[in-house]
Amino acid sequence: MRGLILRRIGIGLITVLAVSIIIFFGTKILPGDAAQIRLGQQATPENVAAFRERLGLDKPYWVQYLTWLGNFLRGDLGISLASDVPITNLIADRYKNTVIVSCLTALIGVPISLMLGIMAAMFPGSLYDRILTFISVTLVAAPEFFTATLLVLLFVFALDIGNAVVVGSTEGKGFFELISHFALPIATLSFVIASQLIRMSRAAVLNVMSSPYIEMAILKGVPRGRIIFRHALLNAIGPIVNVVALNLAYLVTGVIVVEVYFAYPGLATLIVQGVQSRDFVLIQGLGMIFCLTYVILMLIADIAAYASNPRLRHPK
Amino acid sequence: MSDFKNTDPRLTTLGYRENMHLNEMMKRGASRRDVMTWLMAAGATTFASGSVFDGLAHAAAHTPKRGGKLIMAADQHGPNDTLDPALYTSAADYFRGRMFYGSLTRLTPELGYEPELAEEITSNDDATEWTFKIRKGVEFHSGKTLTADDVIFTMNRHMGKDSISKASSLVSMVDKWEKVNDYEVKAVLNSPNADLPIALGTFHFKILAEGTEDFATANGTGPYKVKEFKPGVRAVGVPFENYWGEGGYLDELEHYGIGDSTARLNAFLAGDVDAMVNLPPKAISQVEGTDGKEIWSLQAGAYVNITPRLDMKDSSNRHMWKAMQLLQDRKRLLKGVLKGQGTLGNDQPINAAYFDHCPDIPQRELDPEKAKFHWEKSGLGNTPVPVVAAEVAPGAVEQCLFMQREGKKIGANFEVKKVTTDGYWGAVWLKEPICVASWNMRPTANIMMTLAFKGDADWNETRWNNDKFNQLLVDVRGETDADKRKAKYCDLQTMIHEENGMSLPVHRNYVDAAASHVKGRTEVPLNNFGGAESPVTLWRADT
Repeated sequence: MRGLILRRIGIGLITVLAVSIIIFFGTKILPGDAAQIRLGQQATPENVAAFRERLGLDKPYWVQYLTWLGNFLRGDLGISLASDVPITNLIADRYKNTVIVSCLTALIGVPISLMLGIMAAMFPGSLYDRILTFISVTLVAAPEFFTATLLVLLFVFALDIGNAVVVGSTEGKGFFELISHFALPIATLSFVIASQLIRMSRAAVLNVMSSPYIEMAILKGVPRGRIIFRHALLNAIGPIVNVVALNLAYLVTGVIVVEVYFAYPGLATLIVQGVQSRDFVLIQGLGMIFCLTYVILMLIADIAAYASNPRLRHPK
Repeated sequence: MSDFKNTDPRLTTLGYRENMHLNEMMKRGASRRDVMTWLMAAGATTFASGSVFDGLAHAAAHTPKRGGKLIMAADQHGPNDTLDPALYTSAADYFRGRMFYGSLTRLTPELGYEPELAEEITSNDDATEWTFKIRKGVEFHSGKTLTADDVIFTMNRHMGKDSISKASSLVSMVDKWEKVNDYEVKAVLNSPNADLPIALGTFHFKILAEGTEDFATANGTGPYKVKEFKPGVRAVGVPFENYWGEGGYLDELEHYGIGDSTARLNAFLAGDVDAMVNLPPKAISQVEGTDGKEIWSLQAGAYVNITPRLDMKDSSNRHMWKAMQLLQDRKRLLKGVLKGQGTLGNDQPINAAYFDHCPDIPQRELDPEKAKFHWEKSGLGNTPVPVVAAEVAPGAVEQCLFMQREGKKIGANFEVKKVTTDGYWGAVWLKEPICVASWNMRPTANIMMTLAFKGDADWNETRWNNDKFNQLLVDVRGETDADKRKAKYCDLQTMIHEENGMSLPVHRNYVDAAASHVKGRTEVPLNNFGGAESPVTLWRADT
């Protein structure tokens, strides 16, 4: 078990390293020189040269890469090109905002979707199962901005409850005021992850249900609820945890549409702004943070799968 | 020393001192007759004095209430949001700047100026030396008192080749700033500039405390002080208790960035924010039809244009660009695309929103016959003429498509290539033979023409270089005779209209929207939210 986990961590580190190379050299290929961008169009060539030296841009690429990676490992993401403040300052607050929304969505969306999915697996082919399948397939096909627009139209403009954008800081707001600000973005995100979670948990449980030992349990007359929660679910946890982890990673990194639509100051809007202002240093830093988030969540998912399933620990 | 030109009509008829006297009279409750009598005695004409009274009475009828909170939604914002006035680049920066800082002069709706931190502004006869008397008893948020040293420190940040200032070109004719005494500074110019006090009223010349280097917060003289500032998210101001002037009526003024226009409109219509910048033209009728929501539109000199490079083989054909100008369906563009929120363009940049506008140039209209004449002369036949366009502003792409359609009727073959706005200004603009551009308004006609039409300007889009124009543009800066000044500006505008080569079909207004309880809106046509001058005067009617 320990060996497996160590190996898994090793693979994670290699992934991070590979991604860091792609991110670093990817942003180098983009047109525009960091010093030139920082100083603007009126800068004289001497100024640009001096500034390049200060930023270390005159050194060979691999030296620049190693310095950058070393700084990153020490938690120093560099100085923003657009605003001259440390990237960590820009990110800290935004990261907190994104984590708040992700956690709330996960806390609300994940248990509900899993319950719905498992219940569908308990009564496969029933009316409930069919309706749920229909809704979740529809939701998979509906893009976030569509769901978000529908929700805003329905709740904000037709029913006159809730807020169309997330305005103001969280400090000094009452509980219900916070709910009205966060309800719609979290609902939108929950719909997005729910469809996938429902279908995957249903499929995973059903898959286990068709195995011979479950058939044995049925023949012995074990009640259906007990079969599912006692015998089937443990075996289905591996794939379910993986899907949950993938969705959580999506919540941190991929919520651009939802954040922009609700004007929520999270990491995703920051990377959009970074691209618009050609802030390479910021984009590099955010890229690495997204990559780390993915790798760590996947790591946790895999370890959970190992723990729940002895067969993964002792492959034939 | 003489009291010098001031482009505010109210202040040209009256000196500053008389104007103050007039305000005093209004406060005491003078009748229209009292004011008129006094004005006529002071030598004003009946017409002028009538309009002065109306303006003042209007202001007095809307006495601001204190208290409440307003949330104003900006569009462009990001990690480069700053509190350093020299680095301001966006409307959001400009608005935030007005919340926290003050400047020597304040711009008026007519684009003249009135005194702010400088209480008296005088120049020598040829406008090469300007003296600013600093207001006494003005306090910075830190408690420091404003003196000449602060002004000189601020101005020096805009001077010299190494200046980081985005607006250094507006004061490039200033040789040095001199301290006369603690409350008086002098600007010594190397060439005349009658418009210097107007330039100093613009966004970048906000006065800082001497020695300010850290811009994590703002230490200004403005009506609000920083409660919270997060680049790319929001700025929140609370009243500065020792503000020297009138203004800063709200308990809290929040400026919040919503980049996506649909999200911004949703937030505004739902009442989450009290006002928004840049209402999309499509939404104008929707806002007009909603109770309690109003359009906040300012007629301005901003424009879109199509620019052929006169120094490139493919685009220098004189008859070709003459035909392009005659193929512009200006009225249709204004009505259909801008929904009436603009004015007709006349292929020169100075429209009626500018003080120095020349109304005598005949309006150029869609004229397929004349266009056909020129097109035949050009000898281009149906050779494809590429025009590169991007959605840089409302109407930018449509002006090309309309021209393409009209062109087809006379046998011209324009190929409109639409590219993304991302990177447009670096990769396409000023480089392609024919492309589009979008311009904001500048405070004076001279600044606008110096930036984009003078032969040696970096942003001279068509590379048009006319010695007579270049000479006259510099000459007119020192022209103190009103009639001569007008004639010279008319000549300059006519030259661009006839010779520059660009097509300028429409000027667009700044179209924002505000809830009807948002009062104290300003109307300086230089930018959104009333030229970013409104933070001082905004108040809330329903508290």
